[in-house]
Formats: sequence, C-alpha cells, structure tokens
Amino acid sequence: MSKLTWRLLLTGDKSAFDNMALDEAVLRHVVDDQSPPTLRFYGWEPSAVSIGYFQGIEQEVDLEACRARDIDVIRRLTGGGAVFHDHTGEITYSLAIKADYPGIPAKVVESYGLLCGGLVAGLQRLGIAAEFKPINDILVHGKKISGNAQTRRFGGILQHGTLLCDVNPRLMFSLLKVPTEKIRDKLIQGVEERVTSIRRELGEVDKAAVTDALIAGFADVLDIRLIPGDVSADELALMERIKGERYANPTWNHQR
Amino acid sequence: MPTQPGTINADYKAPGGKLLRVQMQIVAGADGVSRIHALKITGDFFMHPEEAIEDLERRLTGAPLDEAELRARARAFFAGDVQVVGASAEDVVHALLKAA
Repeated sequence: MSKLTWRLLLTGDKSAFDNMALDEAVLRHVVDDQSPPTLRFYGWEPSAVSIGYFQGIEQEVDLEACRARDIDVIRRLTGGGAVFHDHTGEITYSLAIKADYPGIPAKVVESYGLLCGGLVAGLQRLGIAAEFKPINDILVHGKKISGNAQTRRFGGILQHGTLLCDVNPRLMFSLLKVPTEKIRDKLIQGVEERVTSIRRELGEVDKAAVTDALIAGFADVLDIRLIPGDVSADELALMERIKGERYANPTWNHQR
Repeated sequence: MPTQPGTINADYKAPGGKLLRVQMQIVAGADGVSRIHALKITGDFFMHPEEAIEDLERRLTGAPLDEAELRARARAFFAGDVQVVGASAEDVVHALLKAA
C-alpha cells in the first residue's frame, strides 16, 4: 500500500493565542477535507503558560507573576496540566487527523502510545533512550522529557505536546501556584530528579536537528510521507476568528 | 465559582491517574440532609467530549452527601457516552467525600 501523504508545517515562533488558534483552525480544515492530515512544529514568543481545559486558571497560575514578566496565559482546548512554554527551552508539535484515520484506536487512552511513538522514535534517532509512559508522557531513564494532550472534536483528533530542550524550574515555579514557599523550593529541587531535557541528554541543543529527527520519527512510526507545506489563507483567517472567540478572550481563559 | 464562606476545597490524586480538585458549597436542607449546593471539579484529567464536565457537575449538584448516592450519580455519568482519562467514578466519589 502506498504511504499516506501528510502536510508538514514549520511555523516558527508565535504567540500562545496564535498557536492554540492555529492548532484548532488546522484541525477544522483537516476534518473538512480542506487540508491533508498535518504535523506542525512550533515555538512560543513570548513565553507562555498554558493550562488544561479543566483546570482553574486562578488555582494553577500566578497571574500577577506572569503579567510582571510579560508571559501570556492561555487555556488549551485539551485537558491535562499546566505547562510553562519557554521561548528558548521547548519544541512543540501538534498533529491533526480525521477521527476515522486508519489505525487509530477509538479509545483515547490507547491512542497516546501510537501518536507519541513518533517522538519516541525521533528521540531514539538522536541516541536518547526515550520510552512512552502511560498515560501521556515520554520518559528518559525514568525522567519526563515530553508531555502530550489530545482532544477529539469536530470529527477530528488533535494531539499536541512538548519536548523539553532546556529546563528552568525556578522560573517555571515562580509562574505556577504552589501551596507554600517551602514546597516551591522542594518542587524546584525535585525537577532535577523528575525531569530531563535535550540539553541534559545530549549536552547541547540544536533545535533544527532535533526537529528533523522528530519528523523522521513520525514518518517512520506512522508510515507516512511528510511534505513541507504552508498554512492556507483560509486557515489563517479562521485562526484570527477563533483567536478572538476563544484563546485571546478572557471569557474562555477564565471559564474555570 | 468564586471562593466564598461555606466553600470547601479538596484535592484528590487518583492512584495512577490525575488530580481532581473539588470546590463545593454544602447546605443543610429543611429535612436536615446536607446537600451539594454548588460544585466545580477542576484538575489535569481528560474528558472526551470536554463539555461533559458540566453534565457531571450538574448531575452531582443537589445530591445529598451520601456515599451511595454520590457513587450512583458518578457511575451513571461514567456509564454514558464519555471517555474520562486519568480518573474513575470511584475517584470522583473519593474527591467529593474528602471535600465534605
């Protein structure tokens, strides 16, 4: 059987509002057959904190601290936890396919392993002993390097996730709410034991090389051809509309 | 739901799963039975479709603080056309009882 063709998007750094709105705009176009299945890699400028769909924004985020540092705060379409998206320290991906894409388990929990497989294979190409850890994490020697989140909406599947390149736990925990200062220090120290990064594993960060490895990993695991493409004008227009309705809208971000 | 007098909070980490954070207000009815007057469940779990969270909160609102009743309502929700990842009906019951 010939391989299915996907579009590869390298959209560079964008604001949190553009990034989340573009993920949704692409998903809607994929579902409507206006765009092929799509794998996108992107970054965040400025740095941002995203929270899961079900999280309380005031419960999780020190909004004052974020404002003081010009860090955007946004509610995702996907569940899961709060994430600090550092401008320099992270590679982010998203993939959008129709709900009936061949070979995707109907149960969300069973599909993470498959869809995270591209990252695992990509990291292994770099010589990093990555493994998928249910529910939705990727670990290296027991330490987390990637978190992933999925939604199934509009007749499609959107999964996005992060790959840590550099860790800045002090900054991260200054932006997230923690019970006490004592616990903040413990959490910062705990990151050393629980989290790793491309820099820790390889000694350096070459984002372009890492992204190339991930692209190859996804192509292998999903048995697809990835053709570099562009965001369509329609997708950009929808991104702008969705941004106003949802991601840049306080009603959306403060709904829980 | 704004934090106000009478609002109680509890965090419950589902074993092998995600964190459930419950904020609720309890009122004692004329019959002397304590009931959930208002409820918000937040956390880092997943639910598909996402909007079903409001259905879960609606089903539990008005419920007496009775373990069997809460379990019946949570189970009825989980038996429906919803996928919850990282928490079970029993975890929801545990979180509610911890808050109460």
